[in-house]
Amino acid sequence: MADVLSETVPPEDLKKFEKIYHEQLYKNDVTPKAQFEYAWCLVRSKYPADIQKGIILLEELYKTNEEGRRDYLYYLAIGTARLKEYSKAMTYVRSFLSIEPGNQQVISLEQQIKKRMEKEGLVGMAYAGGVVLAVGAILGVGLAIAGKSKS
Amino acid sequence: MSAGPYNYSYIFKYIIIGDMGVGKSCLLHQFTEKKFMADCPHTIGVEFGTRIIEVSGQKIKLQIWDTAGQERFRAVTRSYYRGAAGALMVYDITRRSTYNHLSSWLTDTRNLTNPSTVIFLIGNKCDLEGQRDVTYEEASKFAEENGLMFVEASAKTGDNVEEAFLETAKKIYQSIQDGRLDLNAAESGVQHKPSQPGRNNLSSDQQASKDNCAC
Ligand SMILES: Nc1nc2c(ncn2[C@@H]2O[C@H](COP(=O)(O)OP(=O)(O)OP(=O)(O)O)[C@@H](O)[C@H]2O)c(=O)[nH]1
Ligand SMILES: [Mg+2]
Repeated sequence: MADVLSETVPPEDLKKFEKIYHEQLYKNDVTPKAQFEYAWCLVRSKYPADIQKGIILLEELYKTNEEGRRDYLYYLAIGTARLKEYSKAMTYVRSFLSIEPGNQQVISLEQQIKKRMEKEGLVGMAYAGGVVLAVGAILGVGLAIAGKSKS
Repeated sequence: MSAGPYNYSYIFKYIIIGDMGVGKSCLLHQFTEKKFMADCPHTIGVEFGTRIIEVSGQKIKLQIWDTAGQERFRAVTRSYYRGAAGALMVYDITRRSTYNHLSSWLTDTRNLTNPSTVIFLIGNKCDLEGQRDVTYEEASKFAEENGLMFVEASAKTGDNVEEAFLETAKKIYQSIQDGRLDLNAAESGVQHKPSQPGRNNLSSDQQASKDNCAC
């Protein structure tokens, strides 16, 4: 399948953005841009350990860089879904949609996640217990995406 | 959706590129859903869409990667160019700057794709004739000079949207017939799927693994 949940990053791209990130890390001066680009590649890796690392970098960005929250939330949803942490993924998607209800891109991600859950016999699991976690509860921050920001 | 993965014999990979706000996502949506999104938020990273079309009696599945035009996504979206059989390069006929940036989009595309990649130039929003900022003639000349196919289209009315996607596919299909496009090359952006009715499970496994390495 080729879709946003299954396509994988070309290894040379992952290496390229990893290098930039590490160079900045070495100088103790990591820009949100470099961190995001590296994380975006990591969550598209075929190795779960990479995806996990990408998620950690995105969580950190989410807490520290408010203007990019919309992007981070989207890729947090993708990363967690790829790790089959569907209930977290749905939480990210839901909070995105509570702020930007009609966003077709995110609605279609939500549908893909649901389809995966169905395929794996997990329908209803995300809401078992009746509690959908709040993003704030996962990340330990208050939720606010900086609007739709149509520039 | 109901069509199983074996109802087509080829997969073509497309990318859609161009400045932010030119209407790339609306063109994709118009092509896959036949609907116009009047208030479309900026794409985050990339969006994906598919549709099965028919060229010369062959069913072809188009896998389309719609890239975000905003600057902060540029570096990473470049990795989606690789292995594209078709590239739809879009500008907005009402915003000259989006036209002026075409040569840099073209350079990127040429550098990151292969010589057989079909590049189709789309002047979008042609329903907004009153606000036109780029003439048909100059864009047409630019396309000719650079060997690109070209139409003006409207994601709003649907004018020429089908045509752009289909003409690109026809051109790719022609290259396959002529032998100019090597199906075995890793980054041709084309996969051949001989249909094997009755052997679905087997071919489905093969397909899954194949898809993984093609991305
Ligand atoms: N009148 C008119 N408006 C259009 C047309 N195509 C798109 N638009 C509008 O232009 C705006 C931008 O369209 P998008 O499809 O989001 O543009 P994009 O190129 O995907 O932008 P990015 O995702 O940021 O790169 C939206 O508000 C659309 O409604 C068209 O053919 N005619
Ligand atoms: Mg878009």
